[in-house]
Amino acid sequence: MTRLLTRNLTKRFGGLCAVDSVNLTLREGEILGLIGPNGAGKTTLFSMIAGSIQPTAGEILLDGHQVTGLPAHRCVRAGIVRTHQIVRPFGNLTVLENVVVAAIHAHRPGAGHARDRAGEALEMVGLGNKLDHYPSTLTLAGRKRLELARALATGPRVLLLDEVVAGVNPTEAVAFAALIRRIRDERGISVVMTEHVMPAIMSLSDRVFVVDRGKQIAEGTPQEVVANPAVVAAYLGTEAAAEAAS
Amino acid sequence: MMAWYQGPQARRFAVALVVVVALLGVLPVIGIDAYIHNQLTLLFITIAGALAWNWMGGFVGQISFGHAAMFGIGAFVSARLMLSLHLPVPLCWLGGAVVAGVFALGAHPLLRLRGPYFSIATIGLGEASRLVFTFWEKFTGGSSGLSLPIDSIMKYQLYWYALILVGLVAITSVAIRKSSLGLKLLAIKADADAAADVGISATFYQDLIFVLSGAVMGLTGGMYASYQSFIEPNDMFGFDRAISFVLIAVIGGVGVSLGPVLGAVVFVLVKIYLLTSHPDLYLGLYGLLLILVVLFEPLGLTGLYRRIARLVGPKRPAVGQAK
Amino acid sequence: MARLLDMVVSAVLLAGLYATMAYGLGLIYGVLRVVNLAHGGVIMVGAYLGWCLYVGFGIDPYLSIPLVAVASFAIGVAMYQGLVRRLPRGAAGGPASLLLLFGVWLVLRNIAYLLFKGDDRSIRTEYSSQSLTLLGTHISINRLAVVGIAILIAVGMHLLLKRTQTGRAIRAVAQNADSCTVVGINTNRIYTLTFGIGSALAGVAGVLLATLFSFSPGTTGSPELLKSFVVVVLAGLGSVGGVAVSALIVATVEVFAILVLPSYLTTAVGFVLLMVVLVLRPGGLFGTRVLS
Repeated sequence: MTRLLTRNLTKRFGGLCAVDSVNLTLREGEILGLIGPNGAGKTTLFSMIAGSIQPTAGEILLDGHQVTGLPAHRCVRAGIVRTHQIVRPFGNLTVLENVVVAAIHAHRPGAGHARDRAGEALEMVGLGNKLDHYPSTLTLAGRKRLELARALATGPRVLLLDEVVAGVNPTEAVAFAALIRRIRDERGISVVMTEHVMPAIMSLSDRVFVVDRGKQIAEGTPQEVVANPAVVAAYLGTEAAAEAAS
Repeated sequence: MMAWYQGPQARRFAVALVVVVALLGVLPVIGIDAYIHNQLTLLFITIAGALAWNWMGGFVGQISFGHAAMFGIGAFVSARLMLSLHLPVPLCWLGGAVVAGVFALGAHPLLRLRGPYFSIATIGLGEASRLVFTFWEKFTGGSSGLSLPIDSIMKYQLYWYALILVGLVAITSVAIRKSSLGLKLLAIKADADAAADVGISATFYQDLIFVLSGAVMGLTGGMYASYQSFIEPNDMFGFDRAISFVLIAVIGGVGVSLGPVLGAVVFVLVKIYLLTSHPDLYLGLYGLLLILVVLFEPLGLTGLYRRIARLVGPKRPAVGQAK
Repeated sequence: MARLLDMVVSAVLLAGLYATMAYGLGLIYGVLRVVNLAHGGVIMVGAYLGWCLYVGFGIDPYLSIPLVAVASFAIGVAMYQGLVRRLPRGAAGGPASLLLLFGVWLVLRNIAYLLFKGDDRSIRTEYSSQSLTLLGTHISINRLAVVGIAILIAVGMHLLLKRTQTGRAIRAVAQNADSCTVVGINTNRIYTLTFGIGSALAGVAGVLLATLFSFSPGTTGSPELLKSFVVVVLAGLGSVGGVAVSALIVATVEVFAILVLPSYLTTAVGFVLLMVVLVLRPGGLFGTRVLS
């Protein structure tokens, strides 16, 4: 069952084509890894799907319904939510309030009071004991968890994780990976995640989608993608690819 | 999390409000000086206006230097309704409020702006309104202004109308602040884009608050017009008028629900004092106060009060500092 | 046809004033990301300084420009070191900086009221009412001088920013202040300098304004701030060259608006233009990320 799909999704900034006719498919309940070298267009792709920016061309469909060009807040209501590469907590609200304000607009109304939904999300990410703290007192990992809890509280069907593991220490990274898997398993949320930390994304993802300079160059299981010479070329240059092939 | 009207704090506020309003309501009956009676009326009107300004400036975080536009519109519309249609006075005020609210809605494009861009645009809004309305003599009487048919009984009763207004506006302030709406506004204030990313439409809520704030401002303007019995565009839409709301809210405590109350009291008191002894210093004094508040106590008088309260009272449960 | 030429020439001459006004605001905003709400106030101070020097010491306004520039520079430095610098980090552009500088503006206005009362004043020299005949139209000497000085300032700014070490440092800080400390640029010094230069430019604009129009504490400040802001926003962040062009556009719109509106409504025109620009092209016409 396809949860999310993009058709020829394109974004041009003046003369630069950041994303070029990408056809991405996200199946129900899967974790899709989105990888590519720096500047490949991963964040732009995310931003279009989540509604932060408008596509120049192409379509985005959620469960078969058009969501192309919906502004960010409408995308959230529809069930698509994203986290940010550089976390953006609401500094003037406590941890609990940060998540409650997201829960108020939950995609599934009536599934309990906003406060309860917020509490659940915070328990799940492990911040249950910090409800009254302000985000400035949390560590980076803590703030990333907060960002995640906030996204969860909106009751999404699709969760876009933008470099969630970047910048945290290896122990934390392992915990995050387990958390992401739990999110998918327990809540049935489909996840697209981008990462530079290869081991994390390769072990977590059911499938991987590779972009380079705005175009999609490969798609498949982690093993398939790693062996794909086009992918190796994109990351390491054509010589390395030739070497790997020989 | 409780609804805004539940809990011990809410109860305390309700009790305090009822007591204060009752006391103030009874004062004139007991017998007070006519001068004080009028000054209190003015104070109530000023507080209501400042509270309404604070919804935009404090809760949403968009500093408006142009609220005088809505104030002036409310005043002139209500005056016209009185003069041309002879409607009962309170109805005229409501008419002014409605038109001011619609005007605020029309200013929607401004709300797409953030921070300094918005603020400067509101300076433009205020100035443009002043010029346009001074030019529109048929409506506002130009530089000669309009005189309102307010008899002394009405002026006396204004005290209670204003008291009711300020009471309602105060309740609304607290209601907004403590409710989920207030939370959303704070989120927008902190980071409008991140708020959108969790489903909150900054444009919608800013529009809502701007219209509400504008309508109440228009209502205050209407009452003020009745109080003065004479209004003139250069004064009503003037720069001084516009900044008085900013000053009151900032000095009293921007963003805090009842900061403007403190600020308004201080403002009116200082104005009375200055008008008698040093009338040409009040701009500079307010400028100085603004500077001091920004640099040393961002929450103004309320912040000072809280600091003292913290030294004296029990510790607050929250950990860390809100930004 | 002659009328049209008149108006075009008027626009060009007015643009000179507007450009000079806008440079100061734009520079401070480009480098510190602070909108200097006291900008109108400093313009007013410049006008009064020029007036005082002329009435008190008989110094021709255009010759007094260096003096006024130095004095305004000092005011700018004082404002930065004494006040703006004390703002909490990350407050740039936020309500705190707006309110702080607004407070400064109020203080400046009050000082002007106290010293000079609220009367309209202007600088009228022996040659103020004279004009040259060029291209078939009469051009007042004052307006010509203003344009000439505006061009000098524009060239000077360009040279400063592009050709000097300090100028390069300023541009670097505008782009990325944090990286600058790493390579040894004293950002505090650059900020102070920028604020000083920005204020100096405002002060000079004030003198120029005083030779063309009347001024008073009550009326001067708001319209100038607004117009400067329109020009800066229209030009776009970081473009000093664009300021000249957008000043021309704003001046042209204003001059032609007089065909349909009474003259005192022209500020309203500026506001409408501002709204239009902000809604349609908030990035401005020439916006770049780098101060150029």
